Amino acid sequence: MAIGSFPAISAALAIAVSAIATAYAQAKIGSAGIGALAEDDSLFGSVLILTAIPETIVIFGLVVSLVVAGFI
Amino acid sequence: MTKISITGSKKHLDRVIDELHELKLMDIDQYEGEFDTGQPSEEAEELSELLVDIRSVLSKLPETDSEEQTTTIESVQEQLPKIKEEIGNLDAEVEQVQRELDGINEKKKFFKKLKGSGITAEDLQSSEKLDLFVGRLDIEKLKEEVKTDRFDIFEGTSATAVIYSKDHANQIETAIRNNSKKQFTVPGTELTGTCESIYNNLEQRKQELESRKKSIEQDRQELAEEWNPKLYYIENFLTQKIEKAEAPINFATTERAFMAWGWIPEREFEILEEKLALVSEGKIHVQKEEVGEDEEPPVKHENNRAVQPFESLTDLVSVPRYNELDPSVVLLLTFPLFFGFMIGDAGYGLTTLAVFYAGAKMFPKGKEIFHSLMYASVSTIIFGLAFGDAFGYVIFGHHSELAAATGIQLFEQIPILWHRAEHLGQVFTISALIGLVHVNLGYGIGFYNEYIKHGLKEAFLEKGSWYVLQAGAALAFLVNPTAGLPVMILGVLLIFLGEGVEGMVEIPSLLANILSYLRIFGVSVAAVALAAVVNSIAQTAYGAGGLFGLVFGTAILVFGHVFNTFIKIMEGFLQGIRLHYVEMFGKFFEGGGKKYAPFGAKEP
Repeated sequence: MAIGSFPAISAALAIAVSAIATAYAQAKIGSAGIGALAEDDSLFGSVLILTAIPETIVIFGLVVSLVVAGFI
Repeated sequence: MTKISITGSKKHLDRVIDELHELKLMDIDQYEGEFDTGQPSEEAEELSELLVDIRSVLSKLPETDSEEQTTTIESVQEQLPKIKEEIGNLDAEVEQVQRELDGINEKKKFFKKLKGSGITAEDLQSSEKLDLFVGRLDIEKLKEEVKTDRFDIFEGTSATAVIYSKDHANQIETAIRNNSKKQFTVPGTELTGTCESIYNNLEQRKQELESRKKSIEQDRQELAEEWNPKLYYIENFLTQKIEKAEAPINFATTERAFMAWGWIPEREFEILEEKLALVSEGKIHVQKEEVGEDEEPPVKHENNRAVQPFESLTDLVSVPRYNELDPSVVLLLTFPLFFGFMIGDAGYGLTTLAVFYAGAKMFPKGKEIFHSLMYASVSTIIFGLAFGDAFGYVIFGHHSELAAATGIQLFEQIPILWHRAEHLGQVFTISALIGLVHVNLGYGIGFYNEYIKHGLKEAFLEKGSWYVLQAGAALAFLVNPTAGLPVMILGVLLIFLGEGVEGMVEIPSLLANILSYLRIFGVSVAAVALAAVVNSIAQTAYGAGGLFGLVFGTAILVFGHVFNTFIKIMEGFLQGIRLHYVEMFGKFFEGGGKKYAPFGAKEP
């Protein structure tokens, strides 16, 4: 589907910025999580969950960019 | 689980402990109360020391795959100092050889640079009258700059040596500084002769040392072959013995009697009672105890064989509480579906199956998880066939390349659901629907758990209220807002009554959780696109024609799809499992149970 350049740029920004935000959050949580695991490896499940939580941000970014691009 | 107590005379203590260890049934509770706890038997301390010694020796010996071999503690105790000394000698020797080798490598590097320069080791020693520089420099410019001939230049393969008279040091050193890029320090050596011969000598010495090192490792291997089987046997034996010797720490004791509490699976009670009576000639009293209100029994998963591999995936988050539904069943039902739907490619289904099968063989410890993943692979194959995809190629239906290529019309007859790659819009909607169903399934299980624990009213307020809220939202969007709004407000009120302010805060996360399932769509798109990219690159290579194109294209296909297989395993597993852990388990799973760890069983 053909879309204008502004919607295209907006869609790209939506996914890119939210991906960077997720990466930033996951980097912080991940390094703290590894620290916790070094102390007690039974925490693996909880650490995995904590690390996974910010991923929702990028999913929202994906949805917004699809809406802007006219996919849905 | 039943709580039991065992009471008896101290006379029978050892036999009871032996029998409990043998039975591997009882999860012994730590006694806390006014009686004294038992003492570990006297030999325990000495045996512990020996065990630590044996383990340290074992850690220094290479692994062998020989069977355990029976022997006596005394003989091992006697021989252990000798083995330790031998290992110590070998260690020291290896260290010495290694140190010399490191030095030689450094020297070799240096003399290699000066090969072909004709300079000898004697020339490289600075003397009273002469000084020396070795490094990389621009010889022509140096010659131009220096106004004297009181120096000699030796040019090697990748370094130059300059020997100059100390009388003109100032001038020459300035010129060297201006024109050199790097300086090398001259290593001390007792060898003499030209750089070539020194280099060859060093090489020879290096080979000697390396073969010496190999023979030391050989000695170590032989030592391991001889002693590992015996040491492992004693290690096992001692571990058990110490475990038994330390068991009384958890018992309540008086001068002549002992009492122990613990948990056993309910149906095993009679077996335990009978066996204990047998070893103590009926002089042991075993009885069922009442479970106190603040006590929680340890948890043992009880599932049929299909569900068992998924237990470890549940325990990865947390061991379930005693009276909640084991979510392993849910994992069995939906995790393979998610994985299969996301990857949805018959080819990758087969390759991931192979990877997981190999994983289960290679890492026996993670066997359970690999088995659960094999379910996911099978589901991937099924979805792949339904979508008509294999390695990104369409294999079924009217687009079929396979049918055209083979001429077998049967391939055209197999019905296809839809070609996923061409209908990604549908995948989007389906993902959101999956989310709706899955999250609500979570609330359903939460409802059941609450119903078991606190009754229908609590269950309705805490979990049912979320259904009311969703029904309201559906009404508002599908019928009209005035009909939906009151129902939504009722839902919110019920949530507030059931879960308080925490529940209110969580309301927006309901939408977030359902939207989170759109990652299924995201991974699907990536799965299709990655496979297509590999295929199109390979197509370009094949298009170039010739033998080169054929080889190169095939290499790209093989490498690309192997790479994709691993990416897909990671994506499918992580995204699939996190949808369960975060989005679904959050709706009902409490966790924090204590795992049933019977006394005597190898893995706690």
